Amino acid sequence: MAILPELVLLTGAAAFFVLSLFSRLDFNQVKNAAVIFGVVTFIAALVALDSKATIFFGSYEIDLYSQLFKLMISFGLAIALIFGQNLKDIDESVRPEYYMFLFLSALGLMMVVSSVELISIFVSLELSSFALYLLVPMRSDQSGLRMQMEAGIKYILFGVLATGFMLFGMSYIFGLTGSTYLNEILTGLQTAPQPAALFAIIMVLAGFFFKLAVFPMHFWVPDIYQGASNETTGFIATVPKLAAVALLIRITSMSSGNIQFLVYLLMFLALCSMFYGNLSALVQTDVKRLLGFSGIAHAGFILLGLLTMDPGGYAIAIYYISGYVVMNLACFLVLCNVSQNGENLEIDDLKGLHKRQPVLAFILAVGLFALAGIPPFVGFMGKFMLLTGTLSAGPESLIHLIVVILAAINTGIAIYYYLSVVRAAYTTDPEDRPDVVVDGFTQTVGIALVLLIIIMGALPAKIVALADTAVKTIM
Amino acid sequence: MQSLSSQLANGPSLFSAEGFVGLIFLITIAVIIIGAFMATTSRRLVRCVAGLAVSFTGVAGIYYFLMSPFVAMMQMLIYVGAVSILIAFAVMLAAPEDHTGSGSRTNVLASPLGAGMAAMVFAALSILGIKTQWQSFPRQGSGDIEQIGYVLLTSHSMVFEAISLVLLIAIIGALVLARKGRS
Repeated sequence: MAILPELVLLTGAAAFFVLSLFSRLDFNQVKNAAVIFGVVTFIAALVALDSKATIFFGSYEIDLYSQLFKLMISFGLAIALIFGQNLKDIDESVRPEYYMFLFLSALGLMMVVSSVELISIFVSLELSSFALYLLVPMRSDQSGLRMQMEAGIKYILFGVLATGFMLFGMSYIFGLTGSTYLNEILTGLQTAPQPAALFAIIMVLAGFFFKLAVFPMHFWVPDIYQGASNETTGFIATVPKLAAVALLIRITSMSSGNIQFLVYLLMFLALCSMFYGNLSALVQTDVKRLLGFSGIAHAGFILLGLLTMDPGGYAIAIYYISGYVVMNLACFLVLCNVSQNGENLEIDDLKGLHKRQPVLAFILAVGLFALAGIPPFVGFMGKFMLLTGTLSAGPESLIHLIVVILAAINTGIAIYYYLSVVRAAYTTDPEDRPDVVVDGFTQTVGIALVLLIIIMGALPAKIVALADTAVKTIM
Repeated sequence: MQSLSSQLANGPSLFSAEGFVGLIFLITIAVIIIGAFMATTSRRLVRCVAGLAVSFTGVAGIYYFLMSPFVAMMQMLIYVGAVSILIAFAVMLAAPEDHTGSGSRTNVLASPLGAGMAAMVFAALSILGIKTQWQSFPRQGSGDIEQIGYVLLTSHSMVFEAISLVLLIAIIGALVLARKGRS
């Protein structure tokens, strides 16, 4: 029972593997099967939420922390499957394989958050990454520019580089502690010499910075977002970041002793991410690239939660990433459905959306307002708590104050480009752009996301308390 | 590394057994580095592949020094025997033109800055490696096939299963992408 969500995903992947062997398929049924498997996974994750177990010889830990992340991963997967039902830009003949890779990728992410052993973490992460690398070039070649192939190659090369960094760090950790189990590493590192241990931890962190798109490991983001199909990007931009945050918290909490250097490093990377992401986003015209750069900036904010180095800060980071995933899913829901044939959208393509499809325009507006950090949405509460958390982590420290001020300036920059998209959707005429047709189910899901954004923003205490309990189970 | 440095300083003579082993270890390292240089600096792709194979052979030697003869053999079979040959085939089938000249590098500062950065990273890692007091841990297992199989099916059974999924993804992914390219 404890690994029910993983088993459901595995069953789903196996089912689509069998489906891919048939030459004649009803694509409507394939699509429905995918959505049903996604929803069943979410239900399974709900059922397994408070199970506890240690299996596979101590390398797989099932506790509230991992189950909470699995719940969010399955939620993101289900929503991404629902709004990406039509897969407009994926060739029909490869759709079963597409869903298989998607499920296996989610499976890998779920295994990552439960793994407490370095080799398991590495292999699970590769499982999810390989599937994602393949999803990118599966986009059909509408533009004739082979943009998706370029994106796929870039994704693999950057990903391999990040994996190399991570393995290098892991080899140092093994050399210092003689173990691959996280609990033994934790005790081993406390006696180990500081510089080498710190170096090892930073290298391992770098691998997860890649997944989260934090400053020095962010190069892949805009090109891959642009090259991958809208539905794929909707998945890449949200779900893997949950697993990345889960592991960043696990690894960061392992550092002990003189951690001041790590704190300053995280601060520096957070500020670089914010400024780089926000300033680059200002000049984007492609909406997916814009969201990509905004994702880099948000990754910087999440680092602010990590650098407090206490469970409270980690809990806020979890709150923030879950909010970010919901907001981003809402935006991608709109993008996937506004795009007629799965082509990329320019900001101008959203013009007059309030007349062409008022519900989608509303969902987009709420998503972007929330990303910009405007109350009462979840983005505001998350940023507010992160900034106050950073301040209280160093009450006397001038550096903490400067970081908070610079971060606040960044939210100001961000508002400009988010609202320029809203302005295109609300204050301009559609000219000769056609109406957008959306089925009722997708609209309902979109409205549910909007409600979730508001509820999470209005009642943060409950969620942060839950995240806090979860974090304390791994400390 | 610690044993290596102490051996260099006041170690046994070259003609003792330990000294001879140390010499072979150094030769292995040299093979890896020379191969890597060949792979990265050569202008002809085929020579790059050959350099890669040389480097892989050196790595197999390192595995042998780590008392894992089976892994060393697999390294030879899979990386030197299969991967390098596969890349050589790809090079031959694609028949890329040998490109001469330094390509699109226009900035004069690029090479010295890159070399400087690389040197700094190298120096930092070397200092870190020498200064750190590496602890020695008892050997785990004998490194033979029986031991590897035992570990794979007990303590690392989940990894074993996950790797099978990774391979499945790799195979199907290759088929999906290649089939699309042909049509």
